[in-house]
Amino acid sequence: MTAYLTNLASLGAIFCILAATLNVAVGYAGIFSVAHAVFFGLGAYAGAQVSLLLVPDALLAMLAAALVSGVLSLCLALPALRVRGEYFVAASLGLQMMAVTLFSEAKTVTGGIGGLTGIPGPRLFGVEVSTLPVALGALAVILLATALLMRSSFGRTLQAIRDAESAAEALGKNVAAAKALAVAFACAGAGVAGALFAMHMQFVNVESFTLDQSVLIMAMVIIGGTGTLWGPLVGAVILLSLPAGLAFLPFIPSTEVGAVQQVIYGLAMTLLMIFRPAGLVGDLSRGKSHA
Amino acid sequence: MSGMNSGRRALLGGLAVAPFVGSARAQSAAPYIVGTLFPMSGPNAEYGSVFTAGAALAIQHINADGILRRPVRIQAEDTQALPQQAVVAMNKLVSVDHAHYVLSAFTAVSKAVAPVGDRARTVMVNGGAVGPDLSGLSPYFWNVIPLAHLETQALLPFMIQRGLKRVALVYVDDPLGDAILGILRTSLPAAGGSLVGNFSVPRTAQQFAPVAARIRQTRPDAVYIASFGAQQSQIIKQLRDNGVSQPLVSYSAMNIDSVRNTPEAEGLIFTTQSTDFEGGDAVTRRFATDFKAQHNADPGTYQVNYYNAVRLFGLLAQSLERENAEVNGENLRRVLLAQREFDLVGGKGRFDDLGNMSAALQITEIRGGRLVKIG
Repeated sequence: MTAYLTNLASLGAIFCILAATLNVAVGYAGIFSVAHAVFFGLGAYAGAQVSLLLVPDALLAMLAAALVSGVLSLCLALPALRVRGEYFVAASLGLQMMAVTLFSEAKTVTGGIGGLTGIPGPRLFGVEVSTLPVALGALAVILLATALLMRSSFGRTLQAIRDAESAAEALGKNVAAAKALAVAFACAGAGVAGALFAMHMQFVNVESFTLDQSVLIMAMVIIGGTGTLWGPLVGAVILLSLPAGLAFLPFIPSTEVGAVQQVIYGLAMTLLMIFRPAGLVGDLSRGKSHA
Repeated sequence: MSGMNSGRRALLGGLAVAPFVGSARAQSAAPYIVGTLFPMSGPNAEYGSVFTAGAALAIQHINADGILRRPVRIQAEDTQALPQQAVVAMNKLVSVDHAHYVLSAFTAVSKAVAPVGDRARTVMVNGGAVGPDLSGLSPYFWNVIPLAHLETQALLPFMIQRGLKRVALVYVDDPLGDAILGILRTSLPAAGGSLVGNFSVPRTAQQFAPVAARIRQTRPDAVYIASFGAQQSQIIKQLRDNGVSQPLVSYSAMNIDSVRNTPEAEGLIFTTQSTDFEGGDAVTRRFATDFKAQHNADPGTYQVNYYNAVRLFGLLAQSLERENAEVNGENLRRVLLAQREFDLVGGKGRFDDLGNMSAALQITEIRGGRLVKIG
């Protein structure tokens, strides 16, 4: 049982990183990206290649993954951030679809659909370690960085852009630079999660970085509460533990767990959006319509 | 669809009853757990039901025969054919359910769970995926299905003999498709034929009219389809709808209801494992008779494979019980490598050092929605 719970907790910590970093873009900067799984994937492939070709060191893999995802996000964010709101959603959707094709076709780097196998588990300074403490450490650093950033003038600029982009621009804020940096921070964090994911699973292929994954991460943020530090973590834990918990319910035939899970997912999302539109941890006054 | 629902009900009924069928001696002990990592929801759920039906029947037979001191029980986990869900499920099977033996399917799922099973020294058996890269994933990862490259190789002499020398290939862009492309590129010319065109399609593609047009331009004698899942029947239908009238050939993935029930699949030729359900050995006849009685349908290749996978567990565990050894991954592997050859559905199954089973293959054709052996 311990190994099972440790595995779930490791995946939970990885998805908490993903949700927390997406929250920087969605919750604080108002940039609705449905391509977070792309940068998760870039980080996973970068981390896997570092572990396979150089040295299976978790810190090095995470650093390389953060660099690759962060830098590539800038290349893509600078032109894409010229558009706002739903237009950015469409642009990120296009990026997501293009990336899945690239991940499938760049076989020398990604292994194509067959993926990369035999990725060594995480090591720190040559000592084999469990993924969980490394992932929790990375999550703590990212949460701390997020909290500090959001209390700084940069954070206030982002929130001003989220609430009224034109007004922020009129006040002399460099909107493009702030948004690009927010996206880079979010994507570098997703890259760290990707490297951890690759080392934990010891196998990666494109099926973990599809639009479904991006939507799942977005759902974690929305269910937990956008623009809050802890909300996305609550969302990630709920959405990951729900299917795992359902598998233990004795009155659901184990062969029907998947179908029941999908129904409960849908129902929970609908109910949540009706009764807690700002998410479980979000401000209750936000999101509700007023007659 | 109603047939599928009734099959599902029968399957669930079988799963519920299976643990309680068997000798009084077997019922008194804690059961052996056979875990399944199949897609039970999502677009590949059809496969999960098909795979489970074969495994459930084998468990029923093992329990009824009382060949083991303990009953055998299925613990099903839904993977949706996705690697991440599969790793969570495999960890549950290994750490919580303490599964003695795990059945796997789908290439990505198998690759993702192999490290988990390897660390836990739990035997994992694939009877559904045929990618050649599944060979040697772990000492504890075995295949009870001939991998795709062996099937394609076996079909070539038949095609040349029938005059189907100019072959066009439609292949899914993944390791399976790549492997079949490689074989047709190298072995087809050596056998006296030629690959006149190869057309890759993404795994999620559902529109094949442009591919059909390009195939017609190559004027082939036959079209080889290397795909799997919901895509297969669409490829067949759209090739026929768009004027490709040449014989269609493929491998055992075509042996599913959605293909057999596609009118355009009439005349489709493909390789399957050799199974003589009426005139074969006692194991094969019993399997076919009981399967038909339970499901009111002929069994397919996948049901045979997963029946064989579980039957193999029964035979190996029986050997271990006789020598009073613990039934665990290491011992199961030791007995497998010591015995190598087992009486399974379809005849003798032989295993190599990597745990890959080789079995006799046959060539079948769909005629009137039924499979007819033609070679």
